[in-house]
Amino acid sequence: MENPNPKSLMAAFHFQRALSLVHRTASKSSRAVRGRRIQCAAYASMAYSAGPRRAWSRALLRRLRRAARRRQPRAGWRRRAAAGAGAASRVATGAAGLRRLVPGGGGMDYCSLLEETADYIKCLSVQVKLMQSIADSASLCGQL
Amino acid sequence: MESAQSSGVGSGNSDTYTPEIAESLRFQEEIQSLIDPSFDGSPAAGGSFTALLGLPANQAVELLHEQGPGELPVSGAASSSPTAGEMWRLRVGEEAAPALRLPLDCSPTFPSNAALVERAARFSVFATAESPASSTGGGPSPRLKTEPADSDSPPTLPIAAEKPQRPTKRKESEKSKGKTPAKKSKNAEENTGGDKLPYVHVRARRGQATDSHSLAERARREKINARMKLLQELVPGCSKITGTALVLDEIINHVQSLQRQVEFLSMRLAAVNPRIDFSGLDSFLSAECGPLTAGNGRGGAVLDPAMWSSEATAAASGTRRLPQQQFWHVDLMRPQQPSTMWERDGASHPHFLLNPATSLFVYDPANSVPLNSNQLKTEL
Repeated sequence: MENPNPKSLMAAFHFQRALSLVHRTASKSSRAVRGRRIQCAAYASMAYSAGPRRAWSRALLRRLRRAARRRQPRAGWRRRAAAGAGAASRVATGAAGLRRLVPGGGGMDYCSLLEETADYIKCLSVQVKLMQSIADSASLCGQL
Repeated sequence: MESAQSSGVGSGNSDTYTPEIAESLRFQEEIQSLIDPSFDGSPAAGGSFTALLGLPANQAVELLHEQGPGELPVSGAASSSPTAGEMWRLRVGEEAAPALRLPLDCSPTFPSNAALVERAARFSVFATAESPASSTGGGPSPRLKTEPADSDSPPTLPIAAEKPQRPTKRKESEKSKGKTPAKKSKNAEENTGGDKLPYVHVRARRGQATDSHSLAERARREKINARMKLLQELVPGCSKITGTALVLDEIINHVQSLQRQVEFLSMRLAAVNPRIDFSGLDSFLSAECGPLTAGNGRGGAVLDPAMWSSEATAAASGTRRLPQQQFWHVDLMRPQQPSTMWERDGASHPHFLLNPATSLFVYDPANSVPLNSNQLKTEL
């Protein structure tokens, strides 16, 4: 994995801390609840390590904070996740579809939207690789 | 530089960014991407100059002006003036310029700024571009079409006067794209002579309209095309697709698949993970960060992402008594900083955290994570 990038190191660090926190505080809850919280942690650490200069990271953190403050994150996340995963074909295509997918996409012009999308894709793929390797090493050491 | 920028952000509201602040943020990032070689945010080197900077013309002007005249050794002279038919002047928005008080106190930019100017010089359309940097005195002096407002002294540069056709032809052979954004090299390079010039001299391409609107549109279109190319490179399998709509669909599919992968992986991590013990890692890092963050409140900021995932539970904040994490809980118990996390944070936060982090874990699949934390425990 090409990981000497400081940004991805920070992302890994934040994510692991969040992960351990989730596991310690929510070990009694169901797996779905924990999974949801881990998903929040993933997005949060990704956005945090991306920095405040990116519009998508600001918007993502704003959304997460609002959800956490409202104390009903599960309902909101389920609705949003279901809308995202289930209605895949129904999501608009073109620029409108991108705006819906990329956090903070609604408030930008097309040019910045493309730029933010590129950065978002980069950080998302880094995060996915990170989680993949954590899961792999976890399952590996779980078998030992 | 970072503190100045973050203070600029913090002075506004945390949630509503005025366009200027947003622009300055993007602006500083572009600058950093040019300064910092490890930053991978820089667009292709073959692109136009303001695509490099990612700025509209007036802000690029402002940037270069901010650097001060000393760093960019402008020869301060107009190059040969071609026929008036192809020249036009675009008035740079002066009213926008003062609104952008860009707190650029980044002095270490200038070695790379010279490289920047060199690149700009290379992109220049003038006859002098052929003899790369050696024609005029001093390598990085760009071939500017600077126009002191009234006096236009063409032959200060020791170059032969160029014909109108030659730049066009050379433009087309110069770039790999075959469409030299000549205009942008002018926009970015000019006005570094020390006086703030209101006019931007641009060479329009042959057979194209020269009014300001269409040129601005062309600039915008080129920016968009450059970003689309970047996206195509990022998304696998997108380079073969022709046509913007299909490319956009492919990008949307890719983003959706990534988000779905995050969701599935998080479910998998929820199931698999309780075996992994991060406590060693965490305590070590907290110990490193604790004294450093004592006065700044950044330790709380570091834990914010962790805080949110735990905030999602209905559990009260005081009920988390975990054995080994005393100082971490001290951080948690600290009154939560509100959403001004980044305003204080700046970029110095990653720096001091990075040193323990980089020395600790080189994160790759070969090194399993629990191995690292166990090693840390023995170190402690």
